[in-house]
Formats: sequence, C-alpha cells, structure tokens
Amino acid sequence: MESTVIKSRNFNASFGSNHVVKNVNIDIPRNHVIAVMGPSGCGKTTYLRCINRMHELIPGATCEGEMKLNEEDVYQMHPIFVRLKIGMVFQRPNPFPNLSIYDNVIAGYKLNGIKLPKAERDRIVEHSLTRVALWNEVKDSLNKKGSFLSGGQQQRLCIARAVAMEPEVLLFDEPTSALDPISTSTVEELFHELKVNYTLIIVTHNMQQAARVSDKTAFFFLGELVEYDDTKIMFTNPKDNRTQNYITGRFS
Amino acid sequence: MAQIETELQLLKSEAINMWTLVNSQLNKAREAFLTFDKDLAREVVLKEKRVNGSELKIDRDCENIFALFCPVAIDLRFLLAVLKINSNLERIGDIAEGIAKYVIDAEAPFSKELLEVSRVLPMYEEAVGMLEDTQSAFEKEDTILARGVFKRDDLLDAVNKSSNKVLEAHLKAHPEDTAQALWLISIIRRLERVGDQAKNVAEEIIFYLEAKVLKHSKKFA
Amino acid sequence: MQASNVKFRLGKSYGFQILTYVLAFACVVPLIAILFFIIRAGVTKINWHFLVNIPKPVGETGGGIANALVGSILIILVASVIAIPIGILAGVYLSENRKSRLAYWCRLSTDILQGVPSIVIGIVAYFWLVKPFGKFSALSGSAALAIMMLPIVIRSTEETLKLLPDTLKEAALALGMPFHRVIFKVIIPVGISGILSGVMLSIARITGETAPLLFTAFGNPYLSTNLTQPMQSLPLLIFNYATSPYNEWHDLAWGASLILLLWVLFLNIFTKIVTRKWKVQL
Repeated sequence: MESTVIKSRNFNASFGSNHVVKNVNIDIPRNHVIAVMGPSGCGKTTYLRCINRMHELIPGATCEGEMKLNEEDVYQMHPIFVRLKIGMVFQRPNPFPNLSIYDNVIAGYKLNGIKLPKAERDRIVEHSLTRVALWNEVKDSLNKKGSFLSGGQQQRLCIARAVAMEPEVLLFDEPTSALDPISTSTVEELFHELKVNYTLIIVTHNMQQAARVSDKTAFFFLGELVEYDDTKIMFTNPKDNRTQNYITGRFS
Repeated sequence: MAQIETELQLLKSEAINMWTLVNSQLNKAREAFLTFDKDLAREVVLKEKRVNGSELKIDRDCENIFALFCPVAIDLRFLLAVLKINSNLERIGDIAEGIAKYVIDAEAPFSKELLEVSRVLPMYEEAVGMLEDTQSAFEKEDTILARGVFKRDDLLDAVNKSSNKVLEAHLKAHPEDTAQALWLISIIRRLERVGDQAKNVAEEIIFYLEAKVLKHSKKFA
Repeated sequence: MQASNVKFRLGKSYGFQILTYVLAFACVVPLIAILFFIIRAGVTKINWHFLVNIPKPVGETGGGIANALVGSILIILVASVIAIPIGILAGVYLSENRKSRLAYWCRLSTDILQGVPSIVIGIVAYFWLVKPFGKFSALSGSAALAIMMLPIVIRSTEETLKLLPDTLKEAALALGMPFHRVIFKVIIPVGISGILSGVMLSIARITGETAPLLFTAFGNPYLSTNLTQPMQSLPLLIFNYATSPYNEWHDLAWGASLILLLWVLFLNIFTKIVTRKWKVQL
C-alpha cells in the first residue's frame, strides 16, 4: 500500500478573485495524525475543504493544482466517490435531528439508498460506536433521537457517522472548538485510537491541541504552507521564524 | 489514558532505569575497590557512556513533554524534579567512574588498617544506601523515606570531617601509606559529594510530591 | 410642580395601556360575532340527511349539500396535487439559490401573484382552460385555485428551509450524498413541519375562495365526480343559494356556511397542533 495517502502539488484555491490558498505542496502519510494550524484567515480550512471537494460547493469558489488520493487525482474523480473515501467532521456537532442515534450512524448508507441486511447494519452501528467509545453510553437508547446527548457525545456521534462509511481519510474542521474541556479531551483521546485505521487531518486554531495530538504539523500563514514537519521538531525548534513567532504567541 | 500520562509513565521508568544503572555503577566500583578487581573497574568506566547517553535521552524527553503538553501542577513539578534528579544521578555516575579509574591506576590494594581507621567502607555503604532509598522513595512516592535520607547523610559528614585528623594521626605512625592516604582523602571527598547529591535528589522528590521547597533550609527528619 | 407633572404622565401612560387592551379585544370581537351568528343560524340545519343528499328542486323540503361537499373536496384535492409539488420544489430552488437572476424573477413573480385579485385569476383561467375546451370543468377550477395556492406554499417552504442551518446540508454532502438526496432525505424531512404548515394554510385559504370558481367550475346541481364537467363547491353553493329567493335554499346556504367555517377552523387548529408536534428540535 502506498504510504503517502494524500499528495498536493502547486495547489491553489480562491473565492472569486480572493486567492486564499497559495501553492501548497504537502505529502500526508498514511495512518498519521496531521494537524493544520495557523491564525484566522490563513487558508487552512479552505485547504481542508478542497481535499474532499466541499470547497467547490460555495458559489464562486475555484481551485487548481494537483490533489491526489492514492495517486488518483481527486478532481478527476466524481465528487461523490471522493466524499465516500474522505469523511469529514465539522466544528459544530451536526447529527441529523430527525433521525435516531442508530439511523444517524448508518445515515451514510440509508440516506444514500444503499440497502444492507439488518445484521450488517447492526454490526456497522456497533462497530462504529465502539470505535468512538460511545457504544456503552448509548447502546440502550439507540432508537432515541440524539438530542439528549451532550456536546462531546454528539460530536463523537458525528465521528461515528463518518467512520461507518469506512473512509481512508478523516478530515476534522476544528472539531473541539465548540466543546467544553472534558469533552475536548475525550475527543482528543479518540484521535490516537482512530489513527490505527484511518489517516486524520485536523484543522485547529488551538496550538496546544495540535501539539498534543498530532504526529506531524503543518503551519499555514496568509495562504502559504510555511512549515511542515514532525510535531516534536515544530514545537521545540521550528525552522521558520514565522512559525516560531506564531507558536510563542508573538503575533497579534 | 491521556497521552500525557503515557509519556510521563515512560519518563518515570526511564528515570528508574537510570537510577538502577547508577546504583550498579556505584556498587561495582565499591566491589572493585574492595577486591582490587581491575577488570570490574574497567567495566564501570565503559558503562559510563550509557549513563551519559541516558542523561541526554531523559533531557530530550523532558524537553519534548514540556513543548508538546504544557504540563501544569504535579506534572510540571514531576518534570522539573526529573530534570534535576537526572543531572544529579549523572554526577553520581561520574563519581563512580572516578573511583573505578583510581582502582585501574592504583599499583596495590589499600592497607586494611588504613581502610579501618578512616571508616571509608561504612561511609560507602551508607552512600549506596542513601541512593537506594531515594530510588525507592521515587518509585513508591514515599516522602517519609525521602526525608529519612537527610538523616543518613550525618554519618557521611562525620566521616568526612574526621578524615583529616584521623589520617594525619595514622600517617604519623605509618608514613609509607602517604600516597594511599592522599587517594583515600580524595575518595572520601567524592563519597561525601555522593551523599550531597542524594540529598538533592531527596529534596527534588519532596518538591515533586508535596510542592515543598527544602533547598537551602534546615531539614527535619 | 414636578409631582403633578409626573402624576399626569403616569395617568396618560395608564390610559394608553387601557386603550391597547380595548383595541386588542376589539379585534377578537368580529371573530366571535361571526362564529356566534353562523353557529346559531346554521346548527339547526345540519344533520346526516343534510350531508349526504344533493339539493332538492325548488319547493321540496329536505335536500342537502352532498354535491358541494364532494365537489369542494375533489377540487381542492386536485388543486393541491398540482400546487404542492411545484410549490415545494420552487421553494427549495429559491432557498438554495439566493442570488441568481432566475431566483430574483421567481420571487418577484410570487409576490405579485400573491396580490393578484382572485377574480382576475378566475377570468384568466376561463380564457385559458374553459373557452378553448368549450365547457366549464372542475379541472379548470382546480387550476385556478392552484395558482392561488402557489405563492403561499413557495414562500413558506423557502422561509422554512432558509432557517435550517447550513451545517445540516454540509453534513449530508460530506457523507457522499448526491444533491437530490440531500434535499429529499435530509433537508425536507427536517423542515417538514414548516412546509406542512404552509401547505395547510394555503389549503385553508383556497377553501373559501369563490371568485375563481365562478367561471371555471361553475357549479352543478347534481353530484358529479367527473373532473372534466362542471362541479359544485361549498362557496359557490353559498353564493348562489343565499342570494336566491327561496327559503329552503337559504337554509342550505346557512348550513353550508357553518360547514365551511368549521372546516377552516379545524384546518387551522390541526395545522397548529401538527406543526408543534412535528417540529424538529435543531
């Protein structure tokens, strides 16, 4: 199996005439946790959304360059297939409010019209919920709607929903910024377990989180990828001055 | 378990390994000193590289944990204590190497009478005992044991203090032992430093466990 | 001097408060009056007989409004079948495309259509659907009513869907759902309560519309279920019979008014209950 799962070469993205992501070259290795950090407006979220082709859904959004998933150009594939292989978890937990917890987890199959035998569905639900450490908490209330879950539990439900599709890559767009500290640490613990089976790319504006959870970190600034290295090196001895200024909080 | 807990556990076991290593160095040096075993002494000198390597690794690991996890409270005190204990242990390792080097360079074993009169052997035993106590205190998180180390240093101080007078008296009777006596003084001084290092380690352990700074203050057992 | 000034202003404020209460009460009075009047006039006329028989020829007692009842139901049903899918889909289009030119013209047309007098719509339907075919028909009546329903359904669908957070759509798209499934399996089910309330309000609105049916469905003294023939409906019956010189027909008109009123009332109450029950807590 190819050890680099996502490759970007000379990747650019814009909103109309606003050039937000400039010439990004990055190799994302398989089964690693990659943190993408940077100040607001640096293009990190835009870049993330380009990976699973959510960026182009915004009117006026364009992008160019190479973005490869396992050596296949993502922009030559049908967007539906891309999103089946690359799952995404958003900032605010967004389980489907009209579906039960069980239906939420297999929403990717059910709402796509993919029919599975009940045994298979049960297996997927149990497997996904166990993967996100939620099975024991909700196994007796699978048919209830998810509104009684706490923020952290709802976010884990969303991760279970993404995991149920067995993607190769999971994208996280500031997944804990809407959660309290305890839920945040529960979700962060998940990342370590998830990386055994998936590759995780996490956009975060919380540097400490990037330091805690990731194997490699990418630092974006004003649309450019300034530095991309092992997290240990980034936080003890970064090579670029801009990175050092950002990490030590010397930017305003 | 959170990632930081895993890292701290790993660091703790690395520190304990270093302790065991330095302990064995000190013991082997004593063995070599007693039995005048030059091969054993050479072993100690060779192993000193491992002690130095271990110190560098623990330093690096502490730096990484600081950078990546921004520890606070007991975790912060633990790391600060481990950093200092690390360099204390490394110095004790140096002392063991020094004693072993003497054994390699010496032409003949020490005279029994000289050893008896200077009480260097009980002093050595006590020093090794202090180090072992600090290791137990660290492993078991036992501050009472750590505090006990301060009292044990009294013997080392006593021997060190009296060594000049005692050896002077001995040399008057046996002037042929002068060279050995000079070496012995040097070893006694070094052992006294081992005691001091062990005391520092005990202070750091109490700082980590109780957040009390006992440095430069009168200690009560 | 200060004290008396303050007293005067307090008094004015109190008086104003009383005035708002009185005027609010005054709004409720017409509704109560209408209900009271019609119930009193019509309640004696209603019985099972009334509901299942067609009107008898003049001079005979008995008779009922069966043809108007069935006719109303059929016409409204067909109008709904025409208007609801178009209205919901148009509402979906408008909520998805805020800025395109087509959306602008669509919104403008919807607003204008809402203000077009119902009789004008009736006349237009007459020229398009009655004259070319040479006869009045229930279908043309349904078409006219459908045109009246459209703006309400479109508007309420658009407003409901606009209130849904974008994150819902994003979550569905990120699961690899094609756009049509996102709309039909996620967006519409979550917004169903708002859409349904819009649909039911539009039905309540057209239930009582008379003018469009004057030149299209025209009315029929017999019970008919043929959509290509003229058909009776409750408002038409009330219009024709209330102004007739026959007392028996007046009775029928009163009874029919009460039925119509109760229908609209229950539809509104039902809408409120269902909306609350089916509302998805976001």
